[in-house]
Amino acid sequence: MSWAAHDLEPYAIQKHTKLKLAFVPLLIGSYSPDMMTKWFVYGIHLGPWDLKASDPAQFHRGWPGFGFTHSLIYGVAIGLILWKVFGSKLWGVSFLVGQAAHAITDTGDTVGTMLLFPWTFHFHLGAWAYAGQTGRMTDAAAYFSGLGSMWDLVFVVYGLWSWRVLTSSYFDNLIYRVDAFWPWLHRWVPRGALIVLYRAAFFYGTSRWIAWTIWAHVIHHYPYDLSWGGPHWVHAAHP
Amino acid sequence: MRLLRTTNAPRPAHVRLRLSFDRPSRRDLVVFGGYCAAAALYIAIGVSYIDFLFSFWVGAGYLLIVAWLVPTLVRRLA
Repeated sequence: MSWAAHDLEPYAIQKHTKLKLAFVPLLIGSYSPDMMTKWFVYGIHLGPWDLKASDPAQFHRGWPGFGFTHSLIYGVAIGLILWKVFGSKLWGVSFLVGQAAHAITDTGDTVGTMLLFPWTFHFHLGAWAYAGQTGRMTDAAAYFSGLGSMWDLVFVVYGLWSWRVLTSSYFDNLIYRVDAFWPWLHRWVPRGALIVLYRAAFFYGTSRWIAWTIWAHVIHHYPYDLSWGGPHWVHAAHP
Repeated sequence: MRLLRTTNAPRPAHVRLRLSFDRPSRRDLVVFGGYCAAAALYIAIGVSYIDFLFSFWVGAGYLLIVAWLVPTLVRRLA
C-alpha cells in the first residue's frame, strides 16, 4: 500500500493528461479503493469490541475480500454510475483515472492488486513490503523505511517541480472552470478557501511524508532498507 | 528561360540559445513560504501527537484554519 502517493498523484495526472478532467472526482477516485477497508485492515476499538480483519491482506486485496476495489473494473463500474445515473461523464472519467492510478500504484508492493478482476491473479512488482497486517504503526515504520516511501518522494519532488499546478491562476483558469462543483461550492465558500481546499491533498501528502519519516527515523530509529522488497526486518505479506 | 537561384543555401535565422527557467514570482514565494510555515507546525504537531496525521479531513481543516481563516481575520483586524 502507499501512504502519500494517492494524495499526490492527482496533481501530476492533472498536469499531464490530455483528457479534460475534474480534480475532485480524480482525488476521490484516488482515495476510493481504501475508503471502506483501511480501518478494518488496521483494526479499531469500539467500546468493548476490537474490530479487525482476521487476514488483513486477504481482506484488503484478495478475493474473497474487498480486493476488487483495487481492480480496473471497479473504477469502470463506479465511473459508469457517475456518468449514466448522475449524468456527469466528466466526473465518471475523472474518477476512473484516479482509481486506476491507485490500483496500478499498489501493484508496487508484495501483495499487489487484482487489476483484471474477476481474474484473481495479483499483479505485483514486490518493490516494497506490504505490512498492513502488522498494524498501523509498524506498517508506517516499514513503509517509510523502504522503496514505497521513495516512490512517494518522487511525487513530492515532481509536484514541487510542477509548482504552477498549485498556483491560484492555475486553479482559476483550469480547475475552477472545468468542473461545476467549484462554482457551486463558491456560493458558500470564498475563493481563498477554495484554493486552500484544492491544495489540501498536496499539503497533506507532503507534510505527512515528512512527519512519518521523522517519526520513523529520528524518533524511533527504524533502519532504512531500500533493497527490493524491503524492508526485510518486517514480515511482508504475499498473495 | 533561365532559372534564377541564390549562390548559397539560405542561412538560418540568427537565434541565440536561451535557457529559460519557470521561476516563481516574489508573490508566489511568499505564498509558498506561508505554506511551508503551516507545514512545519503541522509536522511538529503530528510527530508529537501521531493521531493528528491519520485523517485527510483533519489535515484539510487544519490548513483551512492556518492558511485561510487566520490570515483573513488578521487582514480584517488590521
